[in-house]
Amino acid sequence: MTATDIHALVGAYALDAVDDLERVAFERHVTECESCRIELDELRETVCRLADDAWSVPPPRLREQVLAEVGRTRQLPPARKPRPDRRVESWRRWATAAAAAVVLAAGTGVSVWQVQEQRVQDQSVLAEQAQRREARTRQILAAPDLVVRTAPVVGGGKVTVASSAQYDAGVMMLGADGPPANGRVFELWTLRGRTATKAGLLDPGVGSAVRVIDGLPGNDGFGVSVEPPGGSPQPTQIVANVTLT
Amino acid sequence: MTDRGSAARRPEHLSAVPDPEPGPAPGPDVATCLRDVARGDERAFARLYDLVASRVYGLIRRVLRDPAQAEEVAQEVLVEVWRTASRFDSTRGSATSWIFTIAHRRAVDRVRAEQSAAERTMKVGSASMDTPYDEVADEVAGRLERQQVRRCMDDLTELQRQAVTLAYYQGHSYREVADLLEAPLPTIKTRMRDGLIRLRDCLGVGVTAS
Repeated sequence: MTATDIHALVGAYALDAVDDLERVAFERHVTECESCRIELDELRETVCRLADDAWSVPPPRLREQVLAEVGRTRQLPPARKPRPDRRVESWRRWATAAAAAVVLAAGTGVSVWQVQEQRVQDQSVLAEQAQRREARTRQILAAPDLVVRTAPVVGGGKVTVASSAQYDAGVMMLGADGPPANGRVFELWTLRGRTATKAGLLDPGVGSAVRVIDGLPGNDGFGVSVEPPGGSPQPTQIVANVTLT
Repeated sequence: MTDRGSAARRPEHLSAVPDPEPGPAPGPDVATCLRDVARGDERAFARLYDLVASRVYGLIRRVLRDPAQAEEVAQEVLVEVWRTASRFDSTRGSATSWIFTIAHRRAVDRVRAEQSAAERTMKVGSASMDTPYDEVADEVAGRLERQQVRRCMDDLTELQRQAVTLAYYQGHSYREVADLLEAPLPTIKTRMRDGLIRLRDCLGVGVTAS
């Protein structure tokens, strides 16, 4: 699809009438085109006026439910403006956490990923993404009981799983050499015995991601599969498998 | 109530007084609340709820039809507003528009998820896709009565108006809209875009205005 084709989607995008693949393509397009972004912002503002008239009194319990949930929901920190020194700082901090994890894990005799300067640099792109996510990612990576494991991805690349029993969560870092072909997507799974449970779905065209996986330490393994867009009820084509026990 | 001129001339300090009427609120209040919400102010969130909840719920219900589902999605959306308030960028649009963008996206995501589930299980044919769009357009037009939006919608061509309303109020993708209107895909894409542009110009929408 050329830039012109993509830009023709601006109206459909503003109306949420595109599919996931087009959504991703259009969002990428907008980051590269200032005038397109302005047009989109204006059309979005216009579309919002269509909601003026959609007025319906919600059930009173909705207010209580929302306020109660808000009371126990952590807010995201402000998005960071990319600054050069920040980037260095962020992967360095990540590397420190990973190194600390390896030292601790080595003490327990678990076979883990060895930190080498070059490999940490390979991960710096992923680390940047991690820095932009919730503070929780950093919190887990800095956990004193963090254990880091890695496995290759069929077709190139690797998946790294850092898990903390203390937080009952893990951070999954997928760095495949490229996204799955033919519009298929990576899907994430936690594995317990013979049961695979969905743990996340990547967007089409995406081959790397950082995700927090809640409850990860209670599982036997972690898997990555390739699936049709939208995912599958069960993994059909496993491309990476990390043993957690 | 909708006299924007007198609202704009109202002294600044009055806007801090909670509006006792559950009605559409002036833009600045939503923006102020959202700014405070981004700083973790739960009371500001409660006020924001009172300002936008009926419209958020109303929009989602319009798209989903089912009140129980609408309630569920509205809750997700409003909590999402709290969670991500710090990510709102006022240089890219109004606070209200940001909230409705989240609400509409979530509602449409729910429609699509239901559709793919339904398509898998029952192999939906053309029968259920045969949405009576005249009815939708009529209903929408009826509800938009006495509104500026209505007047501006009337300025659109028939195809522009149908393309926009089928996508926005029914949650249809542009491919579905093309099927429903028996028009080529590129035409529908173009009508959505030039329809919105005409609407924008008619409504005098600017991103920096509010």
